[in-house]
This record gives sequence, structure tokens and C-alpha cells, in this order.
Amino acid sequence: MRDVSFGSYFPSNSFVHKMDARAKILIAIAYMVAVFLVSAFHFLGFAACLLFVILATVVSKVPFLRVLKSVRTIIFFVVFSAILQLFFNKKGTVVFWVITDVGLLNAGFIIARIMLIVLGASLLTLTTSPVELADGIEGLLCPLKWIKFPVHEFALIMSIALRFIPTLIDETDRIIKAQKARGADFESGNIFKRAKALIPVLIPLLISSFRRADELADAMDSRCYAGSKTRTRYKKLRFTFRDLIGVLVVAGLIVGIVYLNGFYALNSLAEIAGAL
Amino acid sequence: MKVVAKNLNFTYSPKTKGLSFRALDNVNVEIKEGEIFGIIGKTGSGKSTFVQHINGLIKVQKGGGALKVGDYDLTDKKCDYKSLRAKVGMMFQYPEHQLFAETVFEDVAFALKNFAKDISAEEIAARVKEALSTVGLDYNEVKDKSPFDLSGGQKRRVAIAGVIVAKPEILVLDEPAAGLDPKGKREFLELLLRLHKDYVKTIIIVSHDMNLVAEYCTRAAVFSGGKIIATGTPKEIFSDKNIIEKSGLDLPLTAALTEKLKSKGIITDSDFTVEDFTEKLIVALKNGGKIR
Ligand SMILES: Nc1ncnc2c1ncn2[C@@H]1O[C@H](COP(=O)(O)OP(=O)(O)OP(=O)(O)O)[C@@H](O)[C@H]1O
Ligand SMILES: [Mg+2]
Repeated sequence: MRDVSFGSYFPSNSFVHKMDARAKILIAIAYMVAVFLVSAFHFLGFAACLLFVILATVVSKVPFLRVLKSVRTIIFFVVFSAILQLFFNKKGTVVFWVITDVGLLNAGFIIARIMLIVLGASLLTLTTSPVELADGIEGLLCPLKWIKFPVHEFALIMSIALRFIPTLIDETDRIIKAQKARGADFESGNIFKRAKALIPVLIPLLISSFRRADELADAMDSRCYAGSKTRTRYKKLRFTFRDLIGVLVVAGLIVGIVYLNGFYALNSLAEIAGAL
Repeated sequence: MKVVAKNLNFTYSPKTKGLSFRALDNVNVEIKEGEIFGIIGKTGSGKSTFVQHINGLIKVQKGGGALKVGDYDLTDKKCDYKSLRAKVGMMFQYPEHQLFAETVFEDVAFALKNFAKDISAEEIAARVKEALSTVGLDYNEVKDKSPFDLSGGQKRRVAIAGVIVAKPEILVLDEPAAGLDPKGKREFLELLLRLHKDYVKTIIIVSHDMNLVAEYCTRAAVFSGGKIIATGTPKEIFSDKNIIEKSGLDLPLTAALTEKLKSKGIITDSDFTVEDFTEKLIVALKNGGKIR
């Protein structure tokens, strides 16, 4: 249970790990925008994005396998969307049975898009600890304080949620074991049976979550926690040359993709003009 | 049913470098039928990892050695874990956290319904009633209550009933008395002894309470860093300074007192149970003379 890969931090001392969490989040968002900007069927743009992820992975010293593992968790989703495209896309000419060339291209397009996004997202969580991540988001949301948005509380909720993921995993593990010892069977039967078999796990889990929430609230109260006003930070986020390099690289990626898009668009314009 | 482990090894996350951890290291032990067997050792020494092997909650790893429970060979791929678990009951720390059903009756019956699919409603009711009265609860009073409306001590009893209702031959308890007040603890131990007398044959108990081990266990195994560094009667284990030192364990009160009184020449020895210790002390006191 403990080796859930998606979203688990891989400690290291690399260039990427030392970057400012705010910058990393921005870069990750920019990267995802770049992936979405790649317009239909221009796979060269995807190649550029892939190159970016590979480069970032090498620099971060995270083993490639760890990054790839994150794709495993969503493989079902990817295959499902690809199949939808394959069988239900009626555009283009039929190449095989009900499968059209446009459907085929679309399926490839969707696979590439989802995979690249998940790779990027998991690289972010692999190189940024949950606490840094929450701090980074809080930092980025700071401007919202002007419209009275409770940024600090929001970030606190998030970091508590993140903090409790491993605890919840352990707890789930324990309860599953206790029920298995009483003969519960989670592995056989059809989907309804399996869903029903989860009740003896979910209810104790829910109850213990409430109990934990109570305990945490008491612990925070007894340490005089009073929200954002007077709190200082142990680790200050700082924007450095590393972040500048990262921002420049991702900016380059976006510019490149936009340029490619424009280039193709011009080409097809020229074609249309030629045809006229 | 006998539990026999030969060169049992276990590594957590064996494939992930950096995260992998050797929790069991060549564990050899034989637990005979009828014993109350103690598993002791510092935290993180591998006790829970070992006992969870016994009913297949943790599977024996490839090349991890051999483990047999009665006729069940746990290294066999085709091992029938469900019927094994019916015979080996397991209870964890805070067993009341496993309660889930709407009524106490449903919760206690859970294991029965899982293990014996074709059991009749009357049989279920009879077994639940028996289990509840064994743990000292009144069937008619609690059966229709929500388990979450009970007191802490009652919850724990219901949870215990939910395990013993399947009539296991071996009962494995992983720190079962944690979080109980002294009275609750005493009652719990009495319940254990009662169970051992007329319900389950073998009890395997993981505990940090050395007094409990000295008083009730027939034998015990001392874990340290994933290895068993000693197996023997409580008397043998707690008399060996080397083992106590190496495992970082406390002495039970009776052992510490015996030691002290021996050095003062008042008694010669005891087997570290309260009964035997007081016996020896009374004899010494009656003999008079030896007390300075
Ligand atoms: N799921 C897991 N993944 C990785 N390591 C684990 C896991 N569970 C336990 N360990 C490690 O294995 C070692 C043995 O754990 P185990 O739970 O068997 O100890 P224990 O003797 O029962 O300790 P305690 O007295 O605290 O319950 C510990 O060092 C622990 O950190
Ligand atoms: Mg343990």
C-alpha cells in the first residue's frame, strides 16, 4: 500500500528539487498549457513537450521508472478514451472495420496528451514535498487576499489533507487487514459484490477520520493556533537563478509550439490560397 | 495446529531502492498447540510483520523461507487462506476500530457469514449469543444496539466477540490491551485465560507488557532487528542478562524483585510468576533468620 506512486515525493538534492515551489507550479501549469496548445495532429509539438519532460527528469535525478509508474495508475482512463475515439469517430475514411483514419489520429492524440500531462504533474509532485507544494500554492494565491479570500486557511486545509494521505493509507491498510482476518473477501465476485465488500472498510475509515479531525482540532487549539495573522515561516520561498532558467525553458517551449502552430496554419492557408 | 517457521524472511517494498526494508531476517520458531506464546521486542523489531504471516495477511515472499500452520503450507500458491483465517483469528491494537455494522448482532455475525456461507439463521444467533456471553455482554441487551453507542470497553468486547465467534483454534493478538485502564486490562486478561481454557487452543500474543508475559505465557520469542534472538520460557528469557541487554526490554516486576532478594540472600529463586514468587517469599519469611 505504501508504494502508491502517483503524487509521492522522491527525496533528492537536485536542481529541480531546490527550485522555488511557486516557480515549479507555474512552470508545470505553463507546460500543461503548452501540451494543450499543440494543435490537432502536429505531433512535432508533442515531441517538444516530451523532450521537456525527459530533460526535467534527467535534471531532477528521479529514476525514469518512477515517473513512468504514475502513468500506470491512469492507464485504464487513457485506454478508455482512446477506444471511444477509435470506435465512435465517424469522420474521415474507413481504414479497417469501423475505424477511420481521423479516429486513429484522434486516439493517438488523446493518448499523447493525457500521458504528457500526467508525466508533468507527477514530476511536480515527485520533486516537491507536499508541504512545499501547499506553501507554493499559498504563495501564488496571495493576491486573492485583496478580495478577502481566506488564502491561508485554504492552504492549511490543503496541507492537512496532504499530510493525512499517508495516515489514511496506513489506516485503510489496517482496517482491510482486520476485516480480512474476519473472512472479508475483496478480490472475488462481480463489481457490485466488490463494492458491497468495501462497506466494512469505508465506515470504520470514515469514523476514524472524524475522530482524527476532532483530535487535530484539539491539538491545534491547545497550541493556540489562531490563523494567519501572526504566523511566520520556517522555510521561506525564494526565487533564484534556477527558477529563472526553468521559466525561460518553458517559455521557449510555448513560443516554439505557438510558432509551429502558426507555421502549420500559414501552410494550410497557403494551400487554400493555392487551391483558389 | 502447530505453527512452524523456518528461515522466514520478509522485505517491505523489495523492488524500490531506498524504501526497501528487511523486516524479518531468518526467523525460526515453532509454536505448539496449547501454548500461550509471547512475542516480545522493541518497537519496529518485526513482531507485527511476523504474526501477520500466520494467517496470510502478509504472504510469504518468494524465497522467503517456509511457514506451516497445521496442515496449511503458506508457501503454497494454492493455499486456502479463507479457511485458514477461519482457524486462525487475529486481533489488532484497538480492535474496536474495525466495527462497522448497524447492530452489534450484525457486526459479530460478520465473520460467521463470511466463513460459513450455508450456515442457518438459528445457528448464527446461537453462536453470536455464545460469543457475546463469553466476552461478558448480555445478548438481549446489546444485540440490537448500534456498536457506536457503546462505551469504549463494551466496544472492545464486541470486537473480540466478532473474532472469536468463528471459533478459531489459534488466536493471534497484536497488542490487544493497549489503551485499556488497569481494571479493563485485568478483565481483558481474565477473559483471555477463560478463552484459552474452553474456546481457543493456542494464543499468540504480541505485547510490550513484560508482567503479562511473565505471568501468563508458556514460552516467548524475543525479536530484535527482525531476528529472533531468543526463544524460551519467561524464566529462561528474563534470567539472561545478555538477552535483556540486547533486546532493550524491561524486566517484569517479579524478576526484578527476585533478583534483588536473591542478592540479599533472602530467597534463592522463583519462576517469575506472582504466585510462585509470593510462595517463595512466604517460605523465606517463615524460616525467619535470613532477613537482616
Ligand atoms: N508497510 C510497510 N512498509 C515499509 N516498512 C514497514 C511497513 N510496515 C512496517 N515497516 C517497517 O518494518 C519494521 C517492522 O515493523 P513491525 O510493524 O513488524 O514492528 P513491530 O515489532 O510490530 O513494532 P511495534 O511494537 O511498534 O508494533 C519497522 O521498522 C517498520 O518501520
Ligand atoms: Mg506492531
